[in-house]
Amino acid sequence: MIEDFLKHLFPRAVLQRNLTLSYTLCLGGLAFTCLMLLGASGGLLLFYYQPTPAAAYPSILLLESSVWGGRYLRSLHRLASHFFLVLIVLHTLRVILTGAYQKPRQFNWLVGCALFLCAVFEGYTGYLLPMDQLALWATQTGMELLHIMPLGGALRAVLVPDGVGGPASLLRFYVLHILMVPGLLLFLSGLHFYRIRRNKGVLPYL
Amino acid sequence: MKRGYVKSSPHFFRLITIALGLTAVAVMLLAALVPAPLQEQGNLARVPNPVKSAWFLLWIQELVSYSKYLVYPVLALAACFIALPWLSPAAPQQGACWFPRACRGVSWGRLSHVCWCSR
Repeated sequence: MIEDFLKHLFPRAVLQRNLTLSYTLCLGGLAFTCLMLLGASGGLLLFYYQPTPAAAYPSILLLESSVWGGRYLRSLHRLASHFFLVLIVLHTLRVILTGAYQKPRQFNWLVGCALFLCAVFEGYTGYLLPMDQLALWATQTGMELLHIMPLGGALRAVLVPDGVGGPASLLRFYVLHILMVPGLLLFLSGLHFYRIRRNKGVLPYL
Repeated sequence: MKRGYVKSSPHFFRLITIALGLTAVAVMLLAALVPAPLQEQGNLARVPNPVKSAWFLLWIQELVSYSKYLVYPVLALAACFIALPWLSPAAPQQGACWFPRACRGVSWGRLSHVCWCSR
C-alpha cells in the first residue's frame, strides 16, 4: 500500500530524454534521503538521550562510551543533518538557476521556502541538545542573532524562557527538534511531492 | 504510450532508487570516518574565544558583527527569494534549461550570494 502511494506521487509516464541527471541532479530526492536517515538515526538516539540540563551531557557520554555503535550513530545523525542542509541549498540553487520557481509552480516554491526555513530551524534546535560548550555557545549566539531581528525578543522569550541551557529551554528545543519541526518537515515534504505531481511531473514540461 | 515517453515504473523509479541507495551508503560510510565532536560540558561561566554560532548561521553572524542593522538586508533578501515567482515577469519556458534568458539576473545574483556565504 505504501509503495502504491509513493508511486502515485509521481507521474505514470515520463519523457525518456528527461531521464538524465543533468537537469534535476536528483538533489531534492537526495535531501529527502538524508531526512529519512536523520529520522532513523534520531529515533535510535532517543533511547539514550535525556533532555535535562544535568543529564543531557552525561547521556551523550554514556552513548559514546558504553553503547555499541553509539558514537557512530551520533556521527551519522550529525553528518546526515549537514548533508540535508547542503543538499537543500543546492536544490534551491538548482531551482533558481533553471527558473523552475516560475508560474505555475509558485505555490510549490513557497512550500519549498517553508521547508528550507524548517530545515535550518531543525538544525538549530538540534545544536543545543548535547549540552557541551560548542552546543551551548552556538545556541547562545543564535539567540543573540534572533534578538536583533524584528519581534526577535518575543520569539526568544518563547524559545528560551529561562535562558539558553535552562531546563525549560532545553525541553522546548527537544520537543521542537524531535516532534514538531520533523512533523512539519514531513507534512511539507508530502505537500511538496504532491504539488510536483499536480504541476505535471518531476521535470518540467512532461 | 505516446512517442518519446516511457513508464515511470520501472525506468524512472529505478533511477530514483539508485540515487537514494548511493546517497544513503555514502553518508553512512562517511559517518564512520568523520566522528561527531564533543567538547567539555557546557558552562555559561566559561566563554570560548571566539564564540561561534552554528556553521549555517556563521555568515549572518559575520555580517551583523559590523552593524546589527545589517540584519535588515538579510531579511529583505529572504523576502525577495520568497517573492521570486512574482518578481520575475518571465513567460513560461518551452523546455527545461539552465540559466534561462529571462531569469539571468536572478540566477547570477543568487550565485554571487551563495559564493559570498560559503567564503
